[in-house]
Amino acid sequence: MAVRKTKQGAQHHIHLHKGDVGRYVLLPGDPGRCEIMAEYFDKPKFIVQNREYVTYTGKLLGQKVAVTSTGIGCPSTAIAVEELIAIGADTFIRVGTSGGIQPGTKVGEVAIVTGAIRDEGTSLHYMPIEFPAVADIDVIQALKEGAIRAKVPYRLGITQSKDSFYGEVEPERMPMADHLKNRWKAWVDGGAVCSEMESSVLFIISSIHRKRAGGVMLMAGSADTQPQTEEEFAEFHKLFDVHRAISTAIEGLKILIENDLK
Amino acid sequence: MGKVEFPEVKYHIQMKKGDVGRYVFLPGDPGRTDHIAKLFDNPKLMASNREYRTFTGTLLGEKVSVTSTGIGGPSTAIAVEELIAIGADTFIRVGTSGGMQPEQVPGELAICLAAIRDEGTSMAYLPPEFPAVADITVTQALKLAAINLNVPYRVGITQSKDSFYGQHEPERMPVADHLLQRWKAWKMGGAICSEMEAATLFILGNIYRKRTGGIMLVAANQESDDPNVGVVEELDDLMAVSIEALKILIKLDKKTV
Repeated sequence: MAVRKTKQGAQHHIHLHKGDVGRYVLLPGDPGRCEIMAEYFDKPKFIVQNREYVTYTGKLLGQKVAVTSTGIGCPSTAIAVEELIAIGADTFIRVGTSGGIQPGTKVGEVAIVTGAIRDEGTSLHYMPIEFPAVADIDVIQALKEGAIRAKVPYRLGITQSKDSFYGEVEPERMPMADHLKNRWKAWVDGGAVCSEMESSVLFIISSIHRKRAGGVMLMAGSADTQPQTEEEFAEFHKLFDVHRAISTAIEGLKILIENDLK
Repeated sequence: MGKVEFPEVKYHIQMKKGDVGRYVFLPGDPGRTDHIAKLFDNPKLMASNREYRTFTGTLLGEKVSVTSTGIGGPSTAIAVEELIAIGADTFIRVGTSGGMQPEQVPGELAICLAAIRDEGTSMAYLPPEFPAVADITVTQALKLAAINLNVPYRVGITQSKDSFYGQHEPERMPVADHLLQRWKAWKMGGAICSEMEAATLFILGNIYRKRTGGIMLVAANQESDDPNVGVVEELDDLMAVSIEALKILIKLDKKTV
């Protein structure tokens, strides 16, 4: 069956046409963050909204760039990425928030994601589980340099991409509590740095379509560094600033554009 | 019962602390350790037991080693566990492989950023959802080395399999359809080479927070769109790029220390 399009010939869910976006797309989960990210572009312009998919475009270093929200989770992310590829996008940077996994992770550090634990169902519709969800080396390297330019503390590593938010934050009340806790321990021991809900499917689909993808997540610290006092809470809210992830992504994207123009 | 003392000399690799540097090349074939050691300054044979053969020498004044892993995840896991126990922290797997994408030309290099966990050993360590990913600094050093020496390369995913003949002659296996279907998926996913050890190495590297990477000569390509595609068994480029990459890493480490 051919891909369904709207009456106006736009992609079924994101409601965008060929030519609406360039090759570079930032992917936040939250539709509300698109406008905030677009403010970093030159000449930002709202393009369209349908369901959880909001798109703005603009320019960076003279090149067309876009931001499209994916909604929460891999099912809606897969749709967004499939449709963005269909209209010509080839470089994706997921920008989001996440929990820190490794002890000692401080609020405000960003995770530059190298690979993702496929702790979700969507990517299994594409590839057997043994296939690694891995980011593109050039995007990883650009985001790493981007964090340095943006003066944001970063760590490189693997993210857990899960389907169940409450299964992660409140595992004890789930029927599968022991299973969830055992697996969480394995992810910690394996060195995973953060936990979020969309990267793995982005990386798997990008591998299949030979597109470049990466991700930068703002981290809310780890369990052992959570604020206790009023002062610490105030400090937490100051540092848990999504602009840290956005500025890293924007600087990284500029580095990618510079390299592509070479 | 008295306290059990771990022997100072590791059981399989037959080496102790001080016998290897922090940097270790990992070929599969014991016979190749001699070739790699020739590129070190002052190479010295340290041990040879079963499939594990080790030379230690220096590069840029730093102690470096080469230890063979034997074929497959099981023997590789043993080698890596014991090398970590005696102080190694940076591993570069060097080997030969088959290409998987039609446009790959034998003789080019495949730098392995991640591995398909098509094997059993790493499952004894982490669930299969966990990605077998190499270290970014090591991978970037391998890439820069290939660029510096002007050797064609690509960076991508390797299939780390347990069954050599299951890959080369799948049709004669009882699970032929399963093998063929999965091979098709790996190809569509963009995997660039097929070998037998990288996944285990990368998973152990993640667990123990050690740096790992891998570089393979694409010796042949059964998926080539050129019917007359040849076989390249010349290892000089592979060895030269591996040595150059380790020198890049050593220089980087000296800066940060």
